[in-house]
Amino acid sequence: MEISRRLFVKTTAVALASAAAAGTMSTMMGCSSGEVAPADGGTTTKTLAVCRFCGCGCGVIVESKDGKLISVTGDPDNGSNRGLNCVKGYYLVGALTGEDRLTKPLVREDKNLKGTMEGFREATWEEALDLVASKLRETWKNDKSRLAFWGSGQQPIVEGYCQAKFWKAGLLSNNIDPNARLCMASAVVGFMNVFQTDEPAGCYADIDETDVFVTWGANMAEAHPMLYSRLTARKLDNPDVLHYDLTTLVTRTSATATKVLRFNPGADLAIANAIANYIVSNKLYDEAFVNDHLQFKQGTENIGNATADDYDVTEPGNTVDATTSITLEEYAARLAPYTFEYASEISGVPAADIEELAKVFADPNKKVLSLWTMGVNQHNRGTWMNHCIYNIHLLTGKYAMPGNGAFSLTGQPTACGTAREVGTFCHRLPADLVVANEAHRRYSEAVWNLPEGYLDAIQKPGFHTVKMFRELSKGNIDFLWSAHNNWAVSMPNLTRFLGRGDKQGIFDAFICVSEVYPTLSTAYADVVLPAAMWVEREGAFGNGERRTAIFEKAIDPPGEAKWDLWMLMEIAKRVLEGETIDGVDAFDHLFGFIYDKEAGDFLGDQRETCRTAWEEYRTFSNPWLNERANAINESAGLKMDAKQLAPYDVYLEKHGLLWPVREVEGEWLETSWRFCDGEQADGFDQVGVATHGSQDLAKGISFYKSANQRPSVVFRPWEPPAETPSEEYPFWFCTGRLLEHWHTGSMTRRVAELDRALPEALLDMNPADCEKLGVVDGDMVRVKSRFGEVEIKVSTAGRTQPPEGLVFAPFFAEETLVNLAVQDTYCPLSKEPDFKKTTVSIEKI
Amino acid sequence: MNFSGIIAACLAGAAALKAVYDVATPSVVPLLPPGAKPDGGFASLCVKCGKCIEACPYQALHAAGAEAGAFAGAPCIDAREQACRLCADFPCIKACPTGALEDVASKADVRMGVAVINEETCLSFQGMRCEVCYRVCPLIDEAITIDYRKREGDSLHALFAPIIDEERCVGCGLCVERCVVSDPAPAIRIKPMNEE
Repeated sequence: MEISRRLFVKTTAVALASAAAAGTMSTMMGCSSGEVAPADGGTTTKTLAVCRFCGCGCGVIVESKDGKLISVTGDPDNGSNRGLNCVKGYYLVGALTGEDRLTKPLVREDKNLKGTMEGFREATWEEALDLVASKLRETWKNDKSRLAFWGSGQQPIVEGYCQAKFWKAGLLSNNIDPNARLCMASAVVGFMNVFQTDEPAGCYADIDETDVFVTWGANMAEAHPMLYSRLTARKLDNPDVLHYDLTTLVTRTSATATKVLRFNPGADLAIANAIANYIVSNKLYDEAFVNDHLQFKQGTENIGNATADDYDVTEPGNTVDATTSITLEEYAARLAPYTFEYASEISGVPAADIEELAKVFADPNKKVLSLWTMGVNQHNRGTWMNHCIYNIHLLTGKYAMPGNGAFSLTGQPTACGTAREVGTFCHRLPADLVVANEAHRRYSEAVWNLPEGYLDAIQKPGFHTVKMFRELSKGNIDFLWSAHNNWAVSMPNLTRFLGRGDKQGIFDAFICVSEVYPTLSTAYADVVLPAAMWVEREGAFGNGERRTAIFEKAIDPPGEAKWDLWMLMEIAKRVLEGETIDGVDAFDHLFGFIYDKEAGDFLGDQRETCRTAWEEYRTFSNPWLNERANAINESAGLKMDAKQLAPYDVYLEKHGLLWPVREVEGEWLETSWRFCDGEQADGFDQVGVATHGSQDLAKGISFYKSANQRPSVVFRPWEPPAETPSEEYPFWFCTGRLLEHWHTGSMTRRVAELDRALPEALLDMNPADCEKLGVVDGDMVRVKSRFGEVEIKVSTAGRTQPPEGLVFAPFFAEETLVNLAVQDTYCPLSKEPDFKKTTVSIEKI
Repeated sequence: MNFSGIIAACLAGAAALKAVYDVATPSVVPLLPPGAKPDGGFASLCVKCGKCIEACPYQALHAAGAEAGAFAGAPCIDAREQACRLCADFPCIKACPTGALEDVASKADVRMGVAVINEETCLSFQGMRCEVCYRVCPLIDEAITIDYRKREGDSLHALFAPIIDEERCVGCGLCVERCVVSDPAPAIRIKPMNEE
């Protein structure tokens, strides 16, 4: 019987829903793949997965037959999405089946053709791996500061863990950083500064319980489709639920907000401080919460902007992290200038609107959930803005309780799970540990069975992302390897980094790119390694709400494409040839527990490999699994179990779990609300509070990870953006994401349906600006900044509606490379670039 | 006579009334360019010179085939292939030597047809977050709006239903061009102005 895809999907959805209702889903999905007989005969296999794309981290069920994917449907048993997808998830199959999948290793023969996909020849894996490893080893032996790995918030957890172990323990190099630096570094530094732990206290279920949504610099309707559906359902259920949208331009998110506070770029700091000022000066804060839980600080101010290459080592660049303690009264005095009128003057938002929002926050009977994304994080004061939001929530005691929270939404499927939790940053080690902390190095040495003091060689952080590419452009990097990202499209200031200006370093360095499709990044490569994609191998992602979830292998990769972990093992074994650690062969010391280097293969199958590597990684958060680590954890008071992870197979059985996961009476239970006392079985942090915290504090909260168990309210002033419009560059240029294409479109643009839906990147302009410039919808214009220029077609259709003086474009299209014109100025604390506020001129072509 | 018979009879009557310009009833009513004179005015004035077709910067216009009956050879649009982009200066109208295409004040005044959504095949109506038609609509929030509804049997998610405002939809067809559904047909189509 011929069955249409739509009918098939519908039938499947019903079957899955019934299975879920009957409680059989987990059993069916369990550790081994379920087999079902479809209507058209034969046998299809159902496997468990998580969507490949955004940070929502929606669970999906993958159906395959005869080595081919048939369908992807929402997983009703995954707590993050409960069975629903957006259009990207619906068409996920197409992301793997683009006609131009890379299936053979490519070696560049003609260096003069760098920047194009010409000049390559096909090579054997042996040749390609030998070449990459010899270049890496040569650079490593000559000068370790001249090598770099650029990873990703898409690199699955086990692969990221092994990559970090190879780079940090194997090569003793900190020149490793992920593309997550471009999207959530400000959130990370905010978390660390305020709470001394990198994690949101709440979870997606806060959406179902809050009374007021406040979106700050977030076009959630497009960038987080499923979460926005959930937000909308909450509003439909309760007509009294409010939504305030704080934004610099009207978006699809603004379209459904109760009230839109459209502010001048950078003025969010002034608005947040005005709200805090109102709350403090009128004594509307939660006094018990403040007394029990908070401490107050201020930090280095007038910090200028990180535009020049040497910013980090100059004054004040090297003192930006410094803070001093102040009293509540001193904090109040710092806030005092931020009246509603002053904030209104800076922001352009009516004072009455700011006051209205302040009163909402001050209302003790209203639960408030702040949600933010790149408008806050990609900000020349991104870390400060994160602080300012926490300040309001902490003062009013609206944090870490169901419906009350401040939540930084993530952009990539495992920015949290890998980049942050595994620690593929230039300053980090796994599980929130940092290289600069001696006890953290000792602990990592213990888990990795390294001699004491071995990691002291990496106590100084390496190059953060922007620094890495700036050094590359200057000819100071000889070897770059990138995987799971597309830096030639996603980095800012591409005019400089792609060698289209006076800095030509990209053409001299040896660049290896692991990829699934040809991209602009592979065009600059010397070697391209074809990778297995998504469910062509087993992996795990960690999404924005602390949910770790596994995706099972469903099909084989095409051609000679290989698992990234295999590539890593093969390169590591070559580079470490002849090296020893503590008298043992270095490779075997690090990876002998999963890989047989003589055989060139893993000791077990993919499931077993992932499970074994996970168990070692899990030791970081289960210190009692390693005697030496346990002793350091005790003596240094590291509280490593505060982020406890469960055994690998539990994640398969439960379709993902929010950490910390606690073993209570033989069952592994997740934690939805961190630091909030209550029954573990109901999702509260019972075990954590009982182990490390204090009970009976205000609102049943215990911030046991924070220094002195007190998160910090840090006063951060308004300071203007790095650039402001001038006669030469009169417009703000803001870039971002749209629903159909995920990030640089390297996968979604291969999906015919999504490509049809959004085939080109357009510059959204205000009609009044168009009239002034004499351009109309459909005209081509040149957008020019002091960093570079790009040609793009104007739209006044209104998908986003910028105010006069501001223009918006998405960054997914490599043929419309908006980042040629975007500044690489970054937040001085987080080193995350400000993609939202480059000033530009616009002229009709 | 059953209901469809009555409709057929009415259609036949209407066709007969239009016989002056409508010598052969088209089997497929074409989507005509913006500014096409209504009520048969276009058919009586269009000399099928092709100047509007040449003027269209998007190559959205082509000569209708034999299946268009009396409209064969007249300019028309296959919205799925290339929709009308509602150029600010309407070069097609400017190029028309006979007035078959007459001036329109703005894109909102164009009346080429009206979009119709097939709720059975539309992904948004199944609860998926799609709404591509809405986001590409050049008259977003006017010609297409979203009706936010509770999703049946799902306490956590909403249904984002795209709704066409027949008074304000101009029939440009960009929603049809961009619709992600194609099997068996796009989930949205334009009912041309002159289709009964």
